[in-house]
Amino acid sequence: MALAELTPAESRSEVRLISSPTAEPLWVRVLLMGITFSFLALFLVLPLVVIFAEALSEGLQVYFHSMEDPDTLSAIGLTLLTAAVSLPLSTLFGVAAAWAIGKFQFRGKNLLVTLIDLPFTVSPVVVGLIFVMLFGREGWLGPWLAEHHIRIIYAVPGVILVTLFVTFPFVARELIPLMESQGTEEEEAACVLGANGWQTFWHVTLPNIKWGLLYGVILCNARAMGEFGAVSVVSGQIRGETNTMPLCVEALYNDYNFVAAFSVASLLAILALVTLILQSVIQWKAKRRLQMAEQAFATGEETL
Amino acid sequence: MSISVENISKNFGTFAALSDVSLTVNTGELVALLGPSGSGKTTLLRIIAGLETPNPTSGPIRFHDEDVGNRYVGDRRVGFVFQHYALFRNMTVAENVAFGMKVRPRRERPSKKEIQRRVHELLQLVQLDVMAHRYPNQLSGGQRQRVALARALAMEPKVLLLDEPFGALDAKVRRELRGWLKRLQQEINITTVFVTHDQDEALELANRVVVMNQGQIEQIGTPDDVFHNPKTEFVVNFLGQVNRFSGSLENGKVCFSTVAWEPPEPDHSVRGPASVFVRPHEFKVEKNPGDDPNFRATVCRIHSAGPNVQIELEAESGETLVAEMSQERYRLLGLERGSEVYVSPMNATFFMNGSC
Repeated sequence: MALAELTPAESRSEVRLISSPTAEPLWVRVLLMGITFSFLALFLVLPLVVIFAEALSEGLQVYFHSMEDPDTLSAIGLTLLTAAVSLPLSTLFGVAAAWAIGKFQFRGKNLLVTLIDLPFTVSPVVVGLIFVMLFGREGWLGPWLAEHHIRIIYAVPGVILVTLFVTFPFVARELIPLMESQGTEEEEAACVLGANGWQTFWHVTLPNIKWGLLYGVILCNARAMGEFGAVSVVSGQIRGETNTMPLCVEALYNDYNFVAAFSVASLLAILALVTLILQSVIQWKAKRRLQMAEQAFATGEETL
Repeated sequence: MSISVENISKNFGTFAALSDVSLTVNTGELVALLGPSGSGKTTLLRIIAGLETPNPTSGPIRFHDEDVGNRYVGDRRVGFVFQHYALFRNMTVAENVAFGMKVRPRRERPSKKEIQRRVHELLQLVQLDVMAHRYPNQLSGGQRQRVALARALAMEPKVLLLDEPFGALDAKVRRELRGWLKRLQQEINITTVFVTHDQDEALELANRVVVMNQGQIEQIGTPDDVFHNPKTEFVVNFLGQVNRFSGSLENGKVCFSTVAWEPPEPDHSVRGPASVFVRPHEFKVEKNPGDDPNFRATVCRIHSAGPNVQIELEAESGETLVAEMSQERYRLLGLERGSEVYVSPMNATFFMNGSC
């Protein structure tokens, strides 16, 4: 039956092939879309449904009650704190790095670009271990830190440090191509007009990169809240002290406290969904702005 | 305010963009830096503006006898118009023009009202006051160019520098803006330097033309001067269409193809091989051999669409050349492909080989 349906479509598609060389036959498109959608349903939508179904399996009251546990609340608090500290810092770093790479020529530029990608390519667990080796009791800086009663590993500073490490490329990655493509002409114009560095950045550079910046910050936030591997290694997973939300989920699950585990997981899932929605809205807005500008330009072109 | 630069050199890595260039621009003058891409003209302009620093061995850059070489670009108070306008895309036209006044230190900053008044005045000057609240991407190329100019003038600069000001515009708009810029420059009487690779633009607009090639100045002179008395082969070649022949100088006569042309002031002291340049309009084409020294040629092609007719010819000696004549004369001669004609040079420019 399927074959009988496909044959006329195939013959039609041959005609279409002539008009558009990249249009695939119908059955190829159906197959590709089918694979994609089944994959998405199986690996993304189903787990999401499971999370919410499990979290709400014993009713809303239990759902909310499970989050009132002091350890869980502390995990939520620590996650928010981590994000609050790492977001501004990686934004600052990202803008500085993108500025340096996009607007200046200097030696070692390629090296810098490669280094920025490092946190993406190194496994988070390895990142955690590196920090333990550096700041742990047996680590390089361990004795000195112990002398001064500074605790980094198995404490909150360690959690924040590794989160910073894994999140710092996001903003830079987003901004570097943007700033490179925009060039330096507008900045030069601002300089000629007498603006100082700060005025140039604030009035000229920043408005031009704000959408890319926001996009980078959102991605960065998602990673900061969701990081498991690296944080798990350096935090020591002390309940109520160094557990973040992802670690808390695991701890609750290992305690066979499924409803609570899935409740916290659902919070993370909601966060992910909000991030995705924000991301699409921003993309859509940026695209619309571009289209409007192009349209306006096309109509403006006819009048001089 | 006059501009003078002395012995300016600039290297980008191993590439010498400018070597030992000196130039003086007088107060109120409109000077064109003319040359092909890579000739260093834009680099020179950017050095004057302070957007590039010349090599440390270079001489001073003076604005009206004051050395500004060590002064930061924003403190030189030059009006600079970029090739691609470089308008601030996130600001309206009015905000773009106001920017230079708004970023001044508080003591020197005009009041809000004063800024508004100036912006309005400047936009009127460039005939764009109705566009004040539009964004740059809502304007056409010619309008953007005018906004860029208004923005540059807002600083009340003593010097106006324009980098390929009409480069990105289509031919018709370019012509309109050219005339408009010339009038504006005379009206506000501002020392102006502009960069162009378009010889028509340079010859039409400028009081003086600086012809540049490979980081050096080939010739400085009035448009008439550089066009009629070119000093180097490069200048002849660059300024308009020209026929080049390898010939020689003998007994004061310029010999090329199968003709010997006598210059009005023959110099008998030099002889030897020479490069000879004749512009298309400097050839006289006749049906019959006249009294003038001439050579025979055959018509290969005729371009008659335009104010003048261009005729491609093949000389008896095998060289191909282009001659130009009026439509009227073309009709009178009744030329067509394959016609036999006699060509006499009315003028020629020649350079002894090896001398330049």
